Amino acid sequence: MSRSRVGALALVALVLPLAACVDNDPGPAASGAPERALTVSSTQDACDVSSATAPSGTLTFAVTNDGSDVTEFYLLGEDGLRVVSEVENIGPGLTRDLVVQVRPGTYYTACKPGMVGDGIRAEFTVTDSGEAVGPTGDAAEQLAAAEDQYVAYVKDQVGALIAGTQEFADAYKAGDDEKARELYAATRVHWERVEPVAESFGDLDPLTDAREADLEDGQTWSGWHYIEKDLWPPLAADNGGTEYVPLTDAERTKAADDLVGWTQDLVDQVNDPAFTFEAFQISNGAKELLDEVATGKVTGEEEIWSHTDLWDFQANVDGARLAYEVLEDVVEEADPDLAATLTERFAALEGLLAEHGSVEEGFTSYDELTAQQVKELSTAVDALSEPLSRLTAVVTGV
Amino acid sequence: MVANFLIGLREGLEAALVVSILVAYLVKTGRRDLLPALWGGVAVAGGVSLAFGALLTFGPKGLSFEAQEAIGGTLSIVAVGLITWMIFWMAKTARHLKADLQHKLDDAIAAGKGAVVVMALLAVGREGLETALFLWAGAQATSTGTSAPLVGAALGIAVSVVAAWLMYRGAVRLDLRRFFAWTGLFLVLVAAGVLSYGVHDLQEAGILPGLSSLAFDVSASIPPSSWYATLAKGIFNFTPATTWLQLVAWTAYVSVVLTVFVRTTWGRSPAPKPTAPAAVASAATS
Repeated sequence: MSRSRVGALALVALVLPLAACVDNDPGPAASGAPERALTVSSTQDACDVSSATAPSGTLTFAVTNDGSDVTEFYLLGEDGLRVVSEVENIGPGLTRDLVVQVRPGTYYTACKPGMVGDGIRAEFTVTDSGEAVGPTGDAAEQLAAAEDQYVAYVKDQVGALIAGTQEFADAYKAGDDEKARELYAATRVHWERVEPVAESFGDLDPLTDAREADLEDGQTWSGWHYIEKDLWPPLAADNGGTEYVPLTDAERTKAADDLVGWTQDLVDQVNDPAFTFEAFQISNGAKELLDEVATGKVTGEEEIWSHTDLWDFQANVDGARLAYEVLEDVVEEADPDLAATLTERFAALEGLLAEHGSVEEGFTSYDELTAQQVKELSTAVDALSEPLSRLTAVVTGV
Repeated sequence: MVANFLIGLREGLEAALVVSILVAYLVKTGRRDLLPALWGGVAVAGGVSLAFGALLTFGPKGLSFEAQEAIGGTLSIVAVGLITWMIFWMAKTARHLKADLQHKLDDAIAAGKGAVVVMALLAVGREGLETALFLWAGAQATSTGTSAPLVGAALGIAVSVVAAWLMYRGAVRLDLRRFFAWTGLFLVLVAAGVLSYGVHDLQEAGILPGLSSLAFDVSASIPPSSWYATLAKGIFNFTPATTWLQLVAWTAYVSVVLTVFVRTTWGRSPAPKPTAPAAVASAATS
């Protein structure tokens, strides 16, 4: 290693953290409001903080050691364990500043004269100043960008969905069952990817995507699965003992036209200029998609006649991954551990799915998977579901 | 005064001892021509730390706590990696040396040149920022009428440099083989301490878990601000309150590296065995 390269490396190592700076100068407090510049006097048996409350934002504690022993000063979280910030090595006669950005909440201040024990603690309350405290001031911008990206993705998917649905409906109405069966799963993929959005429009989801087993009393069955059963007619044994009666041409036409009509409704709503999908809805949606997988796809109940569950499975995971990806920058800053975990587990689940095929090439029929393979998939889904459930808290926390 | 002196001594020892071993190593292996590079590394790390500390103290921006801990922790763990590499290099060399041989070492050292400089940089830079911030706080206190803290800290650093120089003198007197064996042993313990320290920093930064699950806490009988705790921390990074993760990291490192080191150094030894190193190790850490 050349000396210049070593020097450069060292400089980088030492200067890199400049990116992680906080302002030394706390913002001005409104007149009459509690100060953001606090002083602390630490002695052998006291830890006097100039105020027990402060407004959220950047706070400065000027900690003076008025004792005869070395002291440390800590700002601890509400549990009294998490170190929010600390300053060590405050020798007698020294004043050292602790500058920290804090959100509203309950904290504890602690001086540790002699660097021993839990320190002399006091509760410290941070009130809401209405100022956004985040990893950076542009978290709001990042979230807005995430929402725009996600809406663009949704529009793209429903565009593909309406085109595919139209083609599927035409084939089905014309009695070209083979072509309809071919188009079925590949078209539904676009629906499954953005299902949380469809669900946000009340009736559309039950009308287009209801499963026979989930029908409520008096509900007329319609939509994708109604047609699915007609394309893959079950034997009497699998149909509760009754012979399956194929749909008449008139019924077919109605079912197909309804499906196209409702899908067009979805397209219109999504393309309405007023349509927005907020960050917390995106993150909740990602979680819902995984729940869908866990409750419907893993069990093989979603596509009980066609056994094309893996397409839906892949599509739900795609949709969840995209939802996470548009939020990734925000998560990366707020909770890098969570970001790393999610990235890793998405990759694990997608790798597992890839063993069974792909949307383009087709997947293995779900009834051909062994119990062991289903269990593997289910485990990978659960492993992803848990960190994904923390996404909303992180996104709304910034 | 005494308290500030001890902080200066502790922070100074952490850096100076490793530097003194590096210097002794270069001198013993007849590579005095690398000394300027080494002092250059020390100077750069010291200068950058002081400048950066001044910037953070007097400038408009401070460093977030997590960032500061993450720097210290990461640099510590990188330093451990380098020191470990050096330990094994020394062990291998010691094995092939006759006790009284003034051997001109081969090109292996040339490859180590960059590593020596980086090690010097890290030894000083690791704690340099924290020490610089501490010194600048002392300088600020001077402007408000009390120079005792700054004088105390400066004296502490001066004493640590003298101690390191004495150690260097002692080390240079040893014959080459013993020098490698004993300084290597000492470095194993230092590196383990640095690793444990780095782990603790990363725990404080919230990067690693388990900050509050302590393996033991003897701070009641060994007050951290006492002179002996200061020395133990300055030399071996011993902390009276140690977390489980620190203890596990320390133990794992020492048990693996020490075993390999002792085997390499004293295994198939043609020379008479020195006193068993294990006894020294336990004495040093107890």
